[in-house]
Amino acid sequence: MEENELLKVRDLTISFPTVSGMHTVLDHISFDVKKGEIVGIVGESGSGKSMTSLAVMDLLPDHAVVDPGSSISLQGRQMLGMSEEELRQIKGNEISMVFQEPMTSLNPVMKIGRQVGEPLRLHTDLSEEEINARVIDELGQVGLVGAEKLVEQYPHEFSGGMRQRVMIAMAIINNPSLIIADEPTTALDVTVQAQILNLFKKIHEEKGSSILFISHDLNVIREVCQRVIVMYKGHIVEEGSVDQVMNHPRHEYTKTLVASMPDNAADTASDKVLVHVDHLNVYYKLRGGILSGKTGRSQILKDVSFDIFDGEIFGVVGESGCGKSTLAKALAGLNKEYDGTIQTNGLRPQMVFQDPFSSLNPARKIGWIMEEPLKLRGIRDKAQRKSMVNDCLQQIGLDPSFADRYANELSGGQRQRISIGTAILRGEKFIIADEAVSALDVTVQSQILKLLLRLQKEWGLTIMFISHDLNVVRHMCRRVIVMYKGQIVETADVEELYDHPRHPYTRMLFDSVLSDRKRHNVKFDSMNRLLFTAGASTGGCPFYNRCFYRSDECRKKEPELLDTGKKGHKTRCCRLAK
Amino acid sequence: MKYLIKKFIALIITLLVISMLTFIAFSLIPGDAVLSRLGINATPEAIANMRAQMGLDDPVIIRYFRWLAGALHGDFGQSMRYSTMTVSQLISSRLPVTIIMAVMSLIIIALISLPLGMLSARVSGKWLDGLISQVTQVIMSIPSFFLGILLTVVFGLIFKVFDVGGYVSPDKDFWGCVHFLILPATAVALPRIAMVVKYLRNSVVTEMKKDYVRTAVSKGAGKRWVLYRHVLRNALIPVITFVAMVVAEILAGSLVIEQVFNIPGMGRLLVSSISTRDYPVVQAAVLYITAIVVIINFIVDALYQVADPRIRNA
Repeated sequence: MEENELLKVRDLTISFPTVSGMHTVLDHISFDVKKGEIVGIVGESGSGKSMTSLAVMDLLPDHAVVDPGSSISLQGRQMLGMSEEELRQIKGNEISMVFQEPMTSLNPVMKIGRQVGEPLRLHTDLSEEEINARVIDELGQVGLVGAEKLVEQYPHEFSGGMRQRVMIAMAIINNPSLIIADEPTTALDVTVQAQILNLFKKIHEEKGSSILFISHDLNVIREVCQRVIVMYKGHIVEEGSVDQVMNHPRHEYTKTLVASMPDNAADTASDKVLVHVDHLNVYYKLRGGILSGKTGRSQILKDVSFDIFDGEIFGVVGESGCGKSTLAKALAGLNKEYDGTIQTNGLRPQMVFQDPFSSLNPARKIGWIMEEPLKLRGIRDKAQRKSMVNDCLQQIGLDPSFADRYANELSGGQRQRISIGTAILRGEKFIIADEAVSALDVTVQSQILKLLLRLQKEWGLTIMFISHDLNVVRHMCRRVIVMYKGQIVETADVEELYDHPRHPYTRMLFDSVLSDRKRHNVKFDSMNRLLFTAGASTGGCPFYNRCFYRSDECRKKEPELLDTGKKGHKTRCCRLAK
Repeated sequence: MKYLIKKFIALIITLLVISMLTFIAFSLIPGDAVLSRLGINATPEAIANMRAQMGLDDPVIIRYFRWLAGALHGDFGQSMRYSTMTVSQLISSRLPVTIIMAVMSLIIIALISLPLGMLSARVSGKWLDGLISQVTQVIMSIPSFFLGILLTVVFGLIFKVFDVGGYVSPDKDFWGCVHFLILPATAVALPRIAMVVKYLRNSVVTEMKKDYVRTAVSKGAGKRWVLYRHVLRNALIPVITFVAMVVAEILAGSLVIEQVFNIPGMGRLLVSSISTRDYPVVQAAVLYITAIVVIINFIVDALYQVADPRIRNA
């Protein structure tokens, strides 16, 4: 055994029994993780990257079959074939794991303090007081303020980012030599994502733990890892230092992974205003009980005004909860609780939703689903509908035979193509794509974006493109609005906004983005500090609590959306008013 | 506090609606208290006299409000059959028996179905799980009264562990009473045990697939640790709601089982009062039973909040 060897995986082969024989998900995987190293595994869903981490962590499903020639050794000890008790001693003690879904990975009915302290309770003889002290200390280490109070709280009182910090505290509390992080930032907002990645780097520096970091996102991998393993269909197709792999990808798959964002080259927008939104306020009804009888409404969107021109792709960005989807619903007529003006020139916007798995009726064939908008348009002739669906399927890059399939036989990308095709068949030229590519793998994402761009040109579509992904928006859109807490805080042409962001929130968003172009100098420490002073509204600028440039004036006065002097560039910030 | 007041108002409304429905239902069925007392050979004059004397001449609405006015003062009137006893006296002698039996049923259900449900979940997919599932399926579909008869035959007549048809009132000998009530309580409990076992097992199996279980396993927790420290409490949350429904069923079940075992509880009182058209007793008995069910539901609601912090803060 070499001195700095930690984890050594050799010829790991895992398969699952299916009706048509054994299905191999990992095929002779071999790699090492050295002491103090951060190794990334990148690949799309189904590549076997998560299966690899589950195998190391002894969390494979019961029916998984590990080939007898496989070997996983931790500091020279062979883990495959260990007794349940021996493995139990390793888990949570020498190896720990952080999962993708912080919202469901914590026990909802157990106090945070008990959950974080559990690895100590399982693996050490410390007293309850000592454990509690360590828990509070560790929660502070991962950047949570007020740990003494937090230990008494339950997971549902925490945001996603806080929960992920809790998961990390839990993973590091026993000072494991290896931490496995399986897509730990995928479910989080960009700003939070940057903080969590930073936290992993900090832990690595301070504790010297090795980290096996699994992600589908090369930018994330590049941010934290030294070495990267690229997986594709159960094989390791490429391995090397992050710079080497990203700058000189050798394998075909890696190449598509590295260069995978289409550009919206030709601008087809006209001067005709297609959608006019003026002083829009949107509310949600709050309902009390039957007996209390009181109803109220809470305001989600405040004074939103913008125009969308015919034939353009209009971007809407912001973190979750900023009102992006509420805006989409109001435009689509799905939320009638609003005042202000929405003019769509008689067009009914068609929605393409985020989740391709739940937005198609599983009980109906694709042909039926795609014919439905044609029936609504009043096309009675069955043969005509069939031929239109066939044409459309070809347009969206699918074989006409898909009409006879059910949604569950299709991949995520194929389903999203169907959603887009169905939206187009409605015959309206205005489409709202609400996080339409967010749930897809990077390579599939780029195919769908290309499809959208092509259809937009060919059919003369106007698209409102809602996304939390600033990179995608930059490549796709002509003009962008940035939303924060239900307001537009900045709007401009895409180049202008990305080159000269004026609002502190926009800047923070850009700082958090791990872009492949134009690296911004990220000041993580200042960001971390700022993000954790989130507090109650001061009645002034909504961004006051998180703002780096805040002054006393911002605390009291709510800023207006003002012109910056550049064409079409407006921002809502007190500093500008001076 | 606000919550309690809300619940109390809901209780009052429920009781009012139920009392009204019972009153109307009772006025719709043929026959009345006078006929059942004087017999079918009574002269029309005697019947008319008796009617007037008992206040049955007035329309249903008037009678209802007269009854309601009394009830609000805690006066449920005289029994029409036992003219010497007030309704309250009658009920206070019968209610404890039924309550004791219901509580015993509940305890039996909890004692048997919790371990059995957990066991079934732990061996889910194995032969033992299948066996438990089959047996519970069968027991679930046998009516309580038949189980009662079966238990009487087996334990009373064959093994002679219990006296058949014997009874001591709880005032005289509490434990003696409990002894007599074991068989009927078991008869009521058995089908519900089967249901709770099935429900708990499915709940545990569902919870075992959740992400937080994977987290616990990754911390190095063993099977028992995961099951008892993480899964059990989560799995019990839906079961608690289910038990609230079971309580109502236990009460309904005991009404029937009291006939089989000849126990002088609320069930016997209710059935005999209905057949003699003794409407003040029926009114009061129904109200008491309704109140018990509503209050138990309220307690279960409170338990639910203890078990699930997410509800507490909502």
